[in-house]
Amino acid sequence: MQQPNEGVWKSMRTGTAGLAWFFSYYAVRAAIESPERFATPTLIAIVLLPVLPAGIFLYLFITDMRRKDELQRRIQLEALALAYPLILLLIMTLGLLQLVVELNPDDWSYRHLGPFVILFYVLGLWLSTRRYR
Amino acid sequence: MKNRLRILRAERDWSQAELSDKLEVSRQTVNAIETGRYDPSLPLAFRIARLFGQRIEEIFQD
Repeated sequence: MQQPNEGVWKSMRTGTAGLAWFFSYYAVRAAIESPERFATPTLIAIVLLPVLPAGIFLYLFITDMRRKDELQRRIQLEALALAYPLILLLIMTLGLLQLVVELNPDDWSYRHLGPFVILFYVLGLWLSTRRYR
Repeated sequence: MKNRLRILRAERDWSQAELSDKLEVSRQTVNAIETGRYDPSLPLAFRIARLFGQRIEEIFQD
């Protein structure tokens, strides 16, 4: 088990990597706002840029998970066990809706799903943490 | 599952934080075990039993 201060520092490091991933997404969105400025290969390279901070975040997140004790791991597992089916349900429902209704891509598209993934995970984390409090 | 962890800890005048340090788990885990909301894994139950010098079944009951 890690010392409390060490744990806080590592969580902050993971959080910073998460923020870097988040901001890189919006930086890419801003950069491709006027796609005519770039050639297609450059655009693809720009769009793939968030993969790097996302990879760093994923590595740190998993490393953090391995350092947690058994109850903390269970809480994370329960949070993901709730978030994963919920996001799957949302994707499937949107997919089915798309077959019968014309959805405006400015309102509903892949890029709108990200906040829901985070929301469902935080909801799962809150419920699970409450259960073992 | 019922357990005597809180009693054993109180007998030694340890805080939850002190016990969690000795067991190398979070304070949240100690609290969840004491309140019966979480049953520890077998390795953790062994660590608890060794720390208090008792057998597992003397600390944890069905």
